[in-house]
Amino acid sequence: MKDEVFQKIKENYNERATDSPFECEFYSRDLAPVPALLVNPLFNTMPDIVVRPASTVEVAEILQMAWKNNIPVTPRAGASTVYFNSVPTKGGILMDLNLIKGIVELDEEKMTVTVKAGTTWSELEEYLNNKGFSTKSYPTSAPVATIGGWFCMMGYGIGSIKYGSLLSQVKAVEVVLPKGEIKEASLVTAPALDWFAGSEGTLGVITQLELEVRPLNSMKHFLIQIPDTAELNEILNKIINAEVLPYNLHFSESNYNKGMKELGFGPDGIDGCLVEVDYEGPEDELTRAEKIITSIITDSDNGAVLLPVENAKEEWDERFLALRLKRGGPSQLGGEVWLPVDRLVNYLEDIELLDKRYKLGLVSYGHIVTSEHATVMTMFYSDETKTLNYIMDLSMVKKIHDIGHRNGGYPYGVGLWNTPYIGNIFQKPQLTELRKRKKKLDSKGIMNPGKVYRPPVLLNSFNFRIGMDVLAKINQVVGRRNRRG
Amino acid sequence: MAKDFTTLENEALICGRCGYCRSSCPVYQVVGWESGAPRGKISKAKDIFVKGEKLSEDFIQRVAQCTLCGACANVCSTGIDTRELWLELRKRIADKGKAPEAYKNLRGTLVENKNISTFSNDDRLEWAEDLDEEPEGLELKAGAEVCYFVGCVSSFYPQAAQIPLANVEIFMETGVDFTTMGGEEWCCGYPLVSAGFVDDAQPFIEHNVTKIKELDIHTLVASCATCYHFWKHDCTKALEGYDIEILHTTEYLARLVKEGRIQLDELDETITYHDPCDLGRNGGVFDAPREIIESISGVKFVELRHNHADSLCCGGGGNLQSVDPDLAAKITDLRVEEIKETGATIVVSACQQCEQMLSTAIRKAGLPVRVMDISELMLEVMG
Repeated sequence: MKDEVFQKIKENYNERATDSPFECEFYSRDLAPVPALLVNPLFNTMPDIVVRPASTVEVAEILQMAWKNNIPVTPRAGASTVYFNSVPTKGGILMDLNLIKGIVELDEEKMTVTVKAGTTWSELEEYLNNKGFSTKSYPTSAPVATIGGWFCMMGYGIGSIKYGSLLSQVKAVEVVLPKGEIKEASLVTAPALDWFAGSEGTLGVITQLELEVRPLNSMKHFLIQIPDTAELNEILNKIINAEVLPYNLHFSESNYNKGMKELGFGPDGIDGCLVEVDYEGPEDELTRAEKIITSIITDSDNGAVLLPVENAKEEWDERFLALRLKRGGPSQLGGEVWLPVDRLVNYLEDIELLDKRYKLGLVSYGHIVTSEHATVMTMFYSDETKTLNYIMDLSMVKKIHDIGHRNGGYPYGVGLWNTPYIGNIFQKPQLTELRKRKKKLDSKGIMNPGKVYRPPVLLNSFNFRIGMDVLAKINQVVGRRNRRG
Repeated sequence: MAKDFTTLENEALICGRCGYCRSSCPVYQVVGWESGAPRGKISKAKDIFVKGEKLSEDFIQRVAQCTLCGACANVCSTGIDTRELWLELRKRIADKGKAPEAYKNLRGTLVENKNISTFSNDDRLEWAEDLDEEPEGLELKAGAEVCYFVGCVSSFYPQAAQIPLANVEIFMETGVDFTTMGGEEWCCGYPLVSAGFVDDAQPFIEHNVTKIKELDIHTLVASCATCYHFWKHDCTKALEGYDIEILHTTEYLARLVKEGRIQLDELDETITYHDPCDLGRNGGVFDAPREIIESISGVKFVELRHNHADSLCCGGGGNLQSVDPDLAAKITDLRVEEIKETGATIVVSACQQCEQMLSTAIRKAGLPVRVMDISELMLEVMG
């Protein structure tokens, strides 16, 4: 029966559908190079067919067929995540949503834009900027991340500290539910809009969104250098608690900056941590912001220095290029942690201790995305060509998440690989509610199976912890010599 | 900003698969499959050349489906010089004897004729027969102030002949002491390099450089953006220690305008400019053509949506036409849509291949837009 469905999809969508193993294989991966040795025994990441619908109606038609025949469907667009969020675990249909793109309407009075879900954030931003508007926030992967994709993740990034999560900016979405029913979801509908935010494509396929926009304002950029991480708290708190909220606030610790320098990136003569602060708004707001930063630096007795404005502008211009550090590879592993800001320094100190213990060469950078929370990425180099060493290094990712957990944080995003942490990511009642929603909308479990709600048996919390801790121990005993290159 | 290319294996491992390249790639925009996106190709190159997977025909086809426009290198978040990576990939494929048939035929033609056409290389200056009078020293004049490197397409394809004609007429009008290499001009060698036959390109480089030295030429001007790029960036070793300035015609003509050697009449037109990839993004020449256009009074100059380093390829680069002309034409259509948006009455470029691709697509679309090389525009408005 499944084969008949795949055949029908091929007939209906012609050159927009393929079951060629060569083509399908490209959809069985995302940014993370996970060894086949780990993946293949557990999951079928190879889609049976890849189809590229170009409209909501086509998405609905495909989902109806899939629902009727119990075929797993994995939605995918920018595929710019690392947790296999948009990689199949049970084969089936891979729905590539990149053709569902374009601006539907800009309502200048309501200050909203309606946009198709497969539009990238950079495309939307370019469109709005040409008309004197801007999005309120966007991800740090804006050149490839799509509007729908970011909504299905947690939706915190550049601009969030000032304008809130993406969910708070979205008025309504058009969603195709797993059975193939097209619905509009808003704050007052059932199911409501918030069911789909952060659902990682497990409750349906978002095809269109209406979101708030803001006027395109001037900006001011500041880059502050501080001697070490211990001083981060004070600077960040002063900036966060000042009367003007920045549009963007990110930091990088000294080892990260040193690594960047070694690769020929970033400003010259940096010694210590960097804090980038970017303001946007009317001129008077920017003037007040400048006074705030000047006074923070003047009053500082911790050695904070304001770097030239060109450096700050460059840091802003390169805000999408955090991956540059991978150039020092060959491979890079790490964990992204959602962390209380007031625990940031403790987290970084604990990371330093971990580094001393395991000699990983850990580096961290992050964004302050609300007045209380930061997303912090901690990374280290590895070598995927040395499979066994690489697998042992994967255990270090758990160590990073353990430190995040000890400091009140949890992994940012779930996908497949972070399912062992769902007990940390969600409170029990919250997880119960999420599972209830899943059961209500997708009782057959066809939408993006294997993600978010529960880990696969072999990755359950107990097995995962034991396995990773054993590997970590071996890693410590064997040492990390010759891991890189 | 792309960093120095290391090895195919290393760069393939460095790729973070972020997909920024996918958004900027004209081939992906048309093909739509991940296998056609730069990140997909690099990922597969890693499987093959690092992990030992078998090289498939499907992959060879995807590698050939690339205009080598360099847009991916421009946005790469890990600083990979992807243009170099594609060239190396094509070389590896050719080394295994698996280059596409079209490439092999191209190599045969080049080795035999020393140019990309089926014509004898002795006919290089046939286009000059359309000049009212043949200028003195047109061919192989030793010690000329400038040697004009015409390029294969402009030399042999009648639809591109107006470019050398315009350039030579401008040189004559302005009293530039110039010459050409005539039948001693061989293909610059880039078509061989871009097909993966790097070693075969070497005799072409050596021949051209030797002739330039013999002629005591110290300024070489090319109207083909790719010849210009190749001379400037890939012949440096052969030219080491020899004092020579390599210029594109846009740079040389802008210099003539600045020096007051050319007076331009008024022109009441809306003009847009298409940056050829090898001149602009890959060659760094953005200002000269714009300076020329904007120096013409009466002209309203409008930029295309994608311009300068962010420019969109015309579809004509990287030998794509020889392996997949339909794909090349569909890429041109994307650019024509942008030209349409500007409301321009003239689209100017500075590469015979861009001009050819755009002319065909604009004619097919029935747009009331003239496509001109910068030299043709200049000649038209010269007082």
